[in-house]
This record gives sequence, C-alpha cells and structure tokens, in this order.
Amino acid sequence: MGIYLLLFALTVFYLLPIYSLINTSLKPDSELAKAPIKPVSNPTLSAYQKAFNRIKDNMLNSVIMTLSATALSSLVGCMAGYIFAKYRFRWSSIIFFCIIIGFYIAPQSILIPLVKFIGALGLYNTIFGLILTHTAYGIPITTLLFYNYIKPIPDSLIEIAQIDGASVVQIFTRVIIPLSLPGFAVVGIFQFTNIWNEFLFGLTLTSGTSSQPVTVAVANLKGTTVAAWNVHMAGAAISIIPVLLIYIFFLRLVIKGLLLGSVKE
Amino acid sequence: MKKPIQITLFLIPAILLVLIFIYSFAGWSGWASTMSWEGLGGFGHFTGLKNYIELFTQDSVFRKGLLNTLLLSVAFIGITIPLGLINAILLDMGIKGKKLFRLIFLIPLSFSFVVSAAMWAWMFAPKTGTINSLLRVLNLGFFTQPWLTSSSQSMLGLIIIYVWQFSGFATLVYFAGISGVKQEIIEAAKVDGASQFQKYLRIIIPLQKIPTFTILFLLLMYSLRVFDLVWLTTGGGPGYSSEILATYMWRITFNRNLFADGASIGFVMFIMSALIAVPFVVKMRGK
Repeated sequence: MGIYLLLFALTVFYLLPIYSLINTSLKPDSELAKAPIKPVSNPTLSAYQKAFNRIKDNMLNSVIMTLSATALSSLVGCMAGYIFAKYRFRWSSIIFFCIIIGFYIAPQSILIPLVKFIGALGLYNTIFGLILTHTAYGIPITTLLFYNYIKPIPDSLIEIAQIDGASVVQIFTRVIIPLSLPGFAVVGIFQFTNIWNEFLFGLTLTSGTSSQPVTVAVANLKGTTVAAWNVHMAGAAISIIPVLLIYIFFLRLVIKGLLLGSVKE
Repeated sequence: MKKPIQITLFLIPAILLVLIFIYSFAGWSGWASTMSWEGLGGFGHFTGLKNYIELFTQDSVFRKGLLNTLLLSVAFIGITIPLGLINAILLDMGIKGKKLFRLIFLIPLSFSFVVSAAMWAWMFAPKTGTINSLLRVLNLGFFTQPWLTSSSQSMLGLIIIYVWQFSGFATLVYFAGISGVKQEIIEAAKVDGASQFQKYLRIIIPLQKIPTFTILFLLLMYSLRVFDLVWLTTGGGPGYSSEILATYMWRITFNRNLFADGASIGFVMFIMSALIAVPFVVKMRGK
C-alpha cells in the first residue's frame, strides 16, 4: 500500500504542472481570475488560436532549422564516428577525445565569438546561421553516438569489402550506412529533441520573427498582465507537440539515445 | 588499411567545425578576457588577469552567481539522485501500470526549458499560481508562500524546478543500471532468504556506482550551463538572489555590453566545464 501512496505523490509532483499548463491553456479570458487549480468550466480553444497565429511562423522556422541541423550533424557525425571506430592512425584517439569533450563545454564560453562570427558571415538573424551553429555543436555528440553504434559492426565485413576493392567511401555507403540505419534513428531523435528545445542560441543569434525559433517566440508570449497567461500556456503546449509525440511513439529510441550518450556500452 | 587521404576527407568536416566553433572560440574568449574594454572602442590593451581579479574581488554579483551555481548544483543533485533511484526501484519492483509510470517519470525530460519555465512561473505565481491556489482549496491558506517573488525563496523554487526537469534522466540511467544487474546474483540472494528490501539495499544499490557517477557528472554539467530555466522564471532575481553564472554572463554581455567581463565569465565557465568533463571522459572511455 505504501508503494502506491508513494507513486501517487510522485504522479502529483510530475503531473500537476502539466495539468496546470493544459487547464490554463483551455480557459477563456473570463475564467483566468478564478482559482487556477479548479478545472476549467467552459473550455475553449481561443487561446490556442491566438497563440498559434503568433507562433506559426516560428514553428516553421524551427521545423526547417531542426530538420536541417539534425540531418547535417548526423551525417558529419556518422562519417567521423565511422573513421574513429574502424581506423587507427597517429593521434586518432586524442583527436577523438578532443571532439567528444566539446559536448560538455558550457555554451557561454563560446557565445561572444559565436555572435561575432555569425555576424561576420552575414548570417545574423537568419535560419541558416542557426543551422550552421546547431550543426557544429551537434558534432561531438553525434560522433560519439555513431562511434558507439559502429564499433560493434564486425571488422570482417569491412575486410571482405576491402578485398573486393571497395574504397573508404564505398565501405561507408554500402556497409556502414545500411548497418547503422537504426543508429540514424536514435541519433536523429536525440538531435531533433535537443535542437527543437534549444533557446540560448536562438535568443542570441536572432532578433525578430523572420528567423526566431519557436522557443524564443514562446518566451516572448509572456505578457505582463494576467490575461496573457492562457495564450502563453497554449503557445507553450503547441511548441512541445513534436517532441512530445516523439517521446510517446519512440520512447525506446529516445531512451537508447540518452543512454548511449552518457553510459559507456 | 592505409588510405590516409580518404580518411582525412571523412574527418575534415567534423574536425574543422569543432576546431572553429569550440576551440578557436573558447581561445578567443580566453584572449578577450585578458584585454581591457573600451565600450564603443572595442577591446583596448592587454591587462593580464585584471578582469578576473576584479570579478573575484570587487564584483559581488559575480561571487553571488558563483555561489548560487554551486548551491543549486549541490541541492538539486542531492535530491535528484536519491529520487531517481527511488523511481527506478519502483519501476523495477513489478508495480501495476509500469509503462504508464515510466512515461510519467520521463515526460518532464521532453519539455523544453522554455516550456517548463512558463509552466513553473505560473505554478509559483503568488496570487494567481496553481500551488497557492491548491493550498487555499485544501484550507491551508496560511501556508501559501511568495515563492519566486521572494529573495529568500527564489533559490528553493529553482531547486524544485530543476528536480522536476531532471529527475527523469536519473531515473532512466538508474533503471538501466538496475536492469543490468545479473539475474544469478539476485537469485542467489533470494536463496539466502533476502527480502525484497534487502535485495535492493544490500545487492542492487551497491552495484550502482557507475550510474551514480554518470548522473552526477551530467547533472553537474547541466547546472553549470542551463540558462533558460532561470532566465525565464526568476530572471536571476529578486535583486540578484537567484543569479547564476549563466544568467550573469548573459546580462553583463548583452544587456550591459561589457564584452571583456562577459568573456571572462565565459572563460571561467570553460575552465569549470573542462575540470568536470576531462576526468569523466577519461574514466569512462579510458582503458
């Protein structure tokens, strides 16, 4: 019995904020002053409509940014992970170490030169600037994840291909990529959720709806009056739908990515 | 196996991007932190460690930010680790609805910090917030708190938010660790007459050193870098009561345009990340 009491308490802790979010987002303006814990009596989607109109362009920005940077960082990470997993050369383990350690560096330590660099390239306030940034900072973790994925592929498969005269590129496209397709699913989901949810780069590298990702737009929905709370909550709810769907339908792949990125196999 | 040109071509994109975006940028921050700052005139002349000395000896907000960053790490990790272990054990015990509870424990992980911040700001709002509203409905109105609007409670609020956001990660890693304990060991303990409680306390928990180490490390890393959860809830306030390094770096750089000081704080954070990450990666990848 004690266990189920504990489970109940934990459920309240984890779900009360989410209940509060959904409940508030469904309220008409007239109900906002009522006790927020009580369920909405006349649920309406009007806050969702308002929020959606204000963030729909940013949703599109986020879709473009996230899909592009996920694809690019996965490809570059797969290439590097393959080389580090299957070839030894001078300095290879030190270079590998220097790449993957990049994942753990606090972004604040590179933020000022990043802004200057993106500005110098003429990419400030563009989606392309964000794609480049997210691709670059994705490389350490995608390289590590693909390394973990490709390492167990038997060397004999590569040797057979080599005897047949396959080059490094051919081995990559004909052996490594087909065998690491499940890896692409795991890495892709890991990168998609991270980049979609990212805020600091989006805030620092953009100014205005034309290129702002949805996280920044949702943060800007926060009004100074009570009346804006239902719209803010509705916008927040809309913005996490893609990631939430991934968690619900691909939880196993999500878990695999999180574990591969942190625990030694 | 010798195909040096092809190997190099495969590595160039990754090496180039990491070299530019991480190492040269961090190096630039290190350089900028030793320069004077002339406002519109940009960087002036070499000043050595002057910026750092001023930060550590004269800037009370910086010291507060450093202290709060450490306090937040210790407190939230100190709660998250046992909570994650409890969650993982609950999932391992064969409770009814295991899959549902697994989703409940993990769902906060999917929330972007922006959404969590919005949600928790609303939870904690003193007059209109959900928590105080719940207390009033339960006739515990006398227990309502100012939460994030009070300088003595803002850090407490952040700790609760961080625990909510990150305990799913600890649950996940511990659950994998517990599932990895060999069945023979558990069977042997059962034969020896160990109760369910003893099984966890004596056998399974002592085998969770690597998961614990992993969680500790990754949460330390997050508590150093996370910006949005604080910026969008307390904004570092009231006053500077909940300022952390990540928010102060942003404030001093982009609100006050003090780029040399911003670079110095950034570089302090670089050193701190490296001090946390290098031993971890060496230990996890070594051998």
